[in-house]
Amino acid sequence: MHYSNSFITFVKYNINIMLPTNCPSCHSQLKVKCLKCENCETEVSGLFDMPVLARLSFEDQQFIQHFVINSGSLKEMSSELKLSYPTVRNMLNEIITKIKKDEK
Amino acid sequence: MKSLLKLKKMKSKAIFSLILNPFTRIAGWQAFGVGLMFVISTGIICTFSKVAFDGVIDMHLVKRLTLLQSFEFLAIDLISLVTIMTATGFIISKSFRIIDILGTMTLSRSPLLILAIAGYFTISPDINEIIKDPILVFQSVSFIIIILLSIPVTIWSIILMFNALKVSCGINGNKLGSAFIIALLVAEVISKILIFNFIRL
Repeated sequence: MHYSNSFITFVKYNINIMLPTNCPSCHSQLKVKCLKCENCETEVSGLFDMPVLARLSFEDQQFIQHFVINSGSLKEMSSELKLSYPTVRNMLNEIITKIKKDEK
Repeated sequence: MKSLLKLKKMKSKAIFSLILNPFTRIAGWQAFGVGLMFVISTGIICTFSKVAFDGVIDMHLVKRLTLLQSFEFLAIDLISLVTIMTATGFIISKSFRIIDILGTMTLSRSPLLILAIAGYFTISPDINEIIKDPILVFQSVSFIIIILLSIPVTIWSIILMFNALKVSCGINGNKLGSAFIIALLVAEVISKILIFNFIRL
């Protein structure tokens, strides 16, 4: 339960501030160098991989957010986005392919 | 002013892409309903204009055509097309809905209505006379117009069929292109065989 809540907050947070995922200079995948606690200001430095979903483009993250909000119903999503059912399903398939490629 | 022009350009581009690929917005039962309305209208008008769609990508002007024959032609075309495209879908795609193929393929035949209407205003020269003197074809302006019109309309319909398969099966690239060409040719041949065996003009 805790995980799913934090996951949604995480996705939302990223969409709001538009976390950069690729290097603006060479377009390579960016990594996390520093994490900071807002409460006690403790900083953790290192070289961390970004979570899989955070590595997706802003549009893909927004799509996943809609997908979760609509309880995974592509039918509801298609009526909300005013797109046909197979188009929405193809968009989801593209994201699945990207995630699978990334996991490899 | 510049931004207004850009906006106009973007709008026309969106309309153009919607004309060639409406399936990003409409598919399934909804597309089937709209497509069926177009097919029924085409069938009725064809009875008066004597235009026979005797093949998936075929059209001929005939001397006599009953309402039943007109609908038989259109039904055979649609059944052949949907059956072959569904079979293609099973080969090239992992997951798709048959209703999407049925709906989008039915809607992709809607441009044929233009030819059905155009046929109403066409005076077809006698085929025996044309065989004797082929130059006679050029004496009928309306006949030349419908021949010229049939080219872009058929291309438009084929583009729609291609996009219908693309959206319904979620496939891209060479695999889609080659599968579509083969499927269309097979559907054309099957529809021709069925029409030859079951419809007497």
